[in-house]
Amino acid sequence: MRVYILKRLVEIVPTVLAITFVVFVMMRSIPGDPVVAMLGDAYTEEDAVRVRAEYGLDKPLLAQYGIWLGKLAQGDWGVSILSGRPVLQDVLVRLPVTFELIVLSMGVALAIAIPAAIIGAVRRNTWADYTATTIAMIGVSIPEFFIGVLLLLLFSIGLHGLLPSSGWAYLPGTCPTVVCSASLLGNAQHVLMPALALGVGRAALLTRLLRASMLEVVRTEYVTTARAKGLAERPVVLKHALKNALIPTVTVMGLQVGFLIGGAIVVETLFAMPGLGTFGIDAIIARDYQQVQGFALITAVAFVVINLLVDLMYTFLDPRIRYA
Amino acid sequence: MRSARLSTLFLLLLSCIATVTSPADAQTPKRGGTLRVAYGNEISGLDFHTTPGYEMIWVATNVGCGLISIAPDGKFLPDAAESWQISSDGLLYTFKLRKNVVFHDGTKVDAAAVKANIDHIMDPKTASSVRPFYQAVHSVEVVDPSTLQIRLKHPYAFMMHALAVYRMGLVLYSPASLQKYGPEDRRSGKPEAEASCGPFKLVEWVKGSQLVMDRFDKYYEPGIPYLDRVIIRTIKDPVTQMAAFKAGEVDFIVDFSADHVDTLKAQNPRAQILTGKEATPMVAMMKVTVPADGKPGAKERAPHPIFGDVKVRKAIGCFGIDRKEIVKIAFKGQATPWAGIIPPGTADTADVTSACPYDQTKAKALLAEAGYGPQKPLTFEILTNTDKAIFNVIATVIKEQLARIGVTANIRIVDKVTWLNGVVAKDGPFDMYVEDLAALLVIDQNLYLSGTTAAWNSARHTDTKVDEFYARYASELDSAKRKVIAKEFQEFSVDKLYWNTISGSPFYEIAQPWMKGYVYQAEFKVRYHQVWLDR
Repeated sequence: MRVYILKRLVEIVPTVLAITFVVFVMMRSIPGDPVVAMLGDAYTEEDAVRVRAEYGLDKPLLAQYGIWLGKLAQGDWGVSILSGRPVLQDVLVRLPVTFELIVLSMGVALAIAIPAAIIGAVRRNTWADYTATTIAMIGVSIPEFFIGVLLLLLFSIGLHGLLPSSGWAYLPGTCPTVVCSASLLGNAQHVLMPALALGVGRAALLTRLLRASMLEVVRTEYVTTARAKGLAERPVVLKHALKNALIPTVTVMGLQVGFLIGGAIVVETLFAMPGLGTFGIDAIIARDYQQVQGFALITAVAFVVINLLVDLMYTFLDPRIRYA
Repeated sequence: MRSARLSTLFLLLLSCIATVTSPADAQTPKRGGTLRVAYGNEISGLDFHTTPGYEMIWVATNVGCGLISIAPDGKFLPDAAESWQISSDGLLYTFKLRKNVVFHDGTKVDAAAVKANIDHIMDPKTASSVRPFYQAVHSVEVVDPSTLQIRLKHPYAFMMHALAVYRMGLVLYSPASLQKYGPEDRRSGKPEAEASCGPFKLVEWVKGSQLVMDRFDKYYEPGIPYLDRVIIRTIKDPVTQMAAFKAGEVDFIVDFSADHVDTLKAQNPRAQILTGKEATPMVAMMKVTVPADGKPGAKERAPHPIFGDVKVRKAIGCFGIDRKEIVKIAFKGQATPWAGIIPPGTADTADVTSACPYDQTKAKALLAEAGYGPQKPLTFEILTNTDKAIFNVIATVIKEQLARIGVTANIRIVDKVTWLNGVVAKDGPFDMYVEDLAALLVIDQNLYLSGTTAAWNSARHTDTKVDEFYARYASELDSAKRKVIAKEFQEFSVDKLYWNTISGSPFYEIAQPWMKGYVYQAEFKVRYHQVWLDR
């Protein structure tokens, strides 16, 4: 097991390097030059040439990537071309917000998907199954921003500010800024709508997937055996059927992290949250190369690590699975 | 000597800039509290001498102080300088500084400090966005610690404006902090590097999260500011802005989207809606020349294949566009249809819109004269960007209007940085673009967007008559004569159409009913020094 984990951890390095290189090349291939945005109405070609040289943007592409990598190896994530702010510092401030959003939206997704899928599978072709399936279908079809706007209209405007429409309150003890609001209740109030907006679509997808897996598993011999042994329906479904049916769902959950990061961009913008999603999209729009690299790096690492954890979860869900 | 005369030149601004003070301003201001502000765009950086963007300016006007400031009626106000004199030939400006002004790092604001700042701005290495406004400066001399003289090479009627308000005006940094910290420290908003002398001092700026500034207790004006703290957050989506306002999460929204104003009013009948005559032009700019050798930026120019011909420019930009319809559809009527190079809210403006009535027959006739018609239909591209949704609405309306005269306009939408590169830096191959450009207090500011040698001369016209108009206007010290030049220039401009304004671009600020003492000064100044909260 240890060897397997070590091997997978080592594999992360080339994967992340490949991702950051592709992003590096893509960013420089699309039209737009951060120096123009940086100089704004003071732009002159002479100043632009000087600034490009200052930031090494006049060097060949591979040399630029090499410099970025060399600095990264020393723990230097670079400095934003536009704002002059250290990239790592900004990433670390924003990471906890997006991390919490993604974890909770996945929690929301599972909280909806698991009971809906169980009901759908156990009471197949009944009104309960049709209701769960229909809701899942609707959930898959509605984009995050639309759900977000609906929630905003309902909870912030309609119910007279029951939930805050924007901003963020940190969990006690995690405040990364000098001035900030930090409270458990405040945090819960701020994260609830974004997590719902992001989680509902995932819930719908997971419901459909888990229901299909459950339908297969409930027909297997070991479930029939469990029932024949006289086990009550609840342990049969929850302990024997659900655990095994979860394997494909967990795999998809890992892959869904990428979608959640993409969804976080939309949801964080809508709810004006200081997370990594808004950081990434702002960086891409402004062609702030250093920030984009930082965003690509952190999301690539997160994606790969989460999928490693998912793989490790298989051993818990199915003891027959062993990693040599 | 001439200070009073110069300051009265812009009394016209009385009609251009609305001053909004609520009746409650007569009450005694309450001290304390936190003002929560929402901006629609992220602050791009905090070097008050170099960073672009209005959001930075709206911080600079609170953290920074300068020599002088400007009132909504165009009168110059003392800031670090308590008085000033201008010689009768307009070449020597003498400023007497207050003795009690200190920077946030505790050092004194004296003549040497002011000189250090002007020198820093004028140094080409600084790449300051306000450097062009100091071109007339010959030298800056320290007479004594509280007396500073600025000597000009030639008369420049807008030196006081440059110091008070062009972009953010002259913002003073403590020379010690200028020396100790580099541009990256200032750009990144390191609080120690932002040692200026404004009513608020920067506590922190966490990009994407918030900017916090606290009252500077040693501000030279006793008892000011009233607020303990100002917190600025970025809320990009107007729907979220409205929700936050309705829920009382924000006290003030700067640069609120014009097409959501009616909805916000309906939701919040007691909200203070602050606006004035538009000082920003909405343009449908046509490219006039292209590089003769095909190399972007080349000095040798050839006429643009379509809009190099003034007949086509007038057919499309003047008679082919229905400005009233654009305002009705895109702005829901909340803007002024306009054709002149100077927006309706800018000093010395003259309404020359009647020179460009919507006239399909005239447009078709001009196109026929230029060789376009059913046999040779005209097709071109409108470039626009995603910065504001309204640009795309306007481009769509123009496309529809041009179809009525047999012209096909294809719309290309790009993001702002691509647009900037296409339009400015790369002498891009565009035909027409829709955008609202910089807010103009006086037409002189527009030289840096429309003079032949300006980097931002995006139409790339080469007519030096435009430069001559600007030069005549800026060197004329008599306001009446200057007004005549301005009118002549506007008539010339609408005839040549190097610059095609279609309307003003309105600017809105929204304040909660409990926010008192705020004075609206359009995009030019957003100052919280006299704001107090009556909650």
